[in-house]
Amino acid sequence: MSAPASSAPATRPVVPPGATLESPAPLPMVDQPAVPFIEIETLRSKEFIPAAKEALGSLIVEQGQTKVVRPVFNWAGRNSLFPLHWGLACCAIEFAAAFGARWDAERFGVVPRSSPRQCDVMIVNGTVTWKVAHKLITLYEQMPEPKWVIAMGNCATGGGPFRTAYSVVPGVDKLVPVDVYIAGCPPRPEAMLDGILELEKLIRERKE
Amino acid sequence: MEPVDLTAALGPVLGDRLLGVEAFPRSAGRIRFERSGALDLFRAVRDSLGFRHLSMVGGIDWTDHREVFYVVWSDDRREYLFLSTDVPADDPHVESASGIWPSANWHEREAWELVGIEFDHHPDLRHLLTPDGYEFRPLLRSFKLHEPEELEVKTRHV
Repeated sequence: MSAPASSAPATRPVVPPGATLESPAPLPMVDQPAVPFIEIETLRSKEFIPAAKEALGSLIVEQGQTKVVRPVFNWAGRNSLFPLHWGLACCAIEFAAAFGARWDAERFGVVPRSSPRQCDVMIVNGTVTWKVAHKLITLYEQMPEPKWVIAMGNCATGGGPFRTAYSVVPGVDKLVPVDVYIAGCPPRPEAMLDGILELEKLIRERKE
Repeated sequence: MEPVDLTAALGPVLGDRLLGVEAFPRSAGRIRFERSGALDLFRAVRDSLGFRHLSMVGGIDWTDHREVFYVVWSDDRREYLFLSTDVPADDPHVESASGIWPSANWHEREAWELVGIEFDHHPDLRHLLTPDGYEFRPLLRSFKLHEPEELEVKTRHV
């Protein structure tokens, strides 16, 4: 402010027509800062608003996505995990018991849905045979992103006692990517809830 | 109800294709027949003797030959009847009973895919329990347990 009046026109950035104020042409041998630096003092008042909006906007988008939006989405996603409501074998009994009054999986926001298009997580609860394999893949592909898979029980994890049988898929990870494996034959409802909490930990660390 | 004389009822129909009539526990008996007389026997058993319900069809692998057996039930007589025929292992063909008893359809599909019995003139001989394109006959005694990876390669149609 104390600069002489004669030097003020020299420090004012000259914006040629067609170039943007916020991203001037880079000079050679000069490192570009991550956020373009703007000499606010030299801006006209009508140039200040778009320049500040652009500078703050990139900051907000960059920082806000990683520090605000993504945690909020992860928080919302991991507290409303909707599994696909289907049962393959005896693990489905434990799966059903987990939603009863005694264990009450709904307190974690886990509500089974009957359509794969409303689901976030597919809990493969039972022995997967080759006959049902392509139906499982179809259901998985019908689920919207983001989606996760929990292999519940020994059969879905690795074929279980039927691993060498002629009709059993030796592990559902041969068909779809699996995020959490739950051991047990069948696992108790507490184990299923523990698997869901493990999946919630995975979602908490999710970056994108 | 009077026990039915199976030999007198089926002998004129089948002739020498009727190989034997045996007593069988908790049933009207067990009929062994030549496979060429299958349809004649089925019609006679259903229409003349009144065994109108086919309870099951199965196949057995006896290593040197295979056996196809039928279990039929009569609502009037309240008892079962067993029919059985032998087929050679290298030519396991038998006429389908689906035209006589429609419930034979799925039973024959199962016997075909698991034991390898070929049912001629079956209306819909597809895989029932194993996936389409499955190459094995897993209930044959010659079938060995495979490593999972080996099976996976051969059933990679999914």
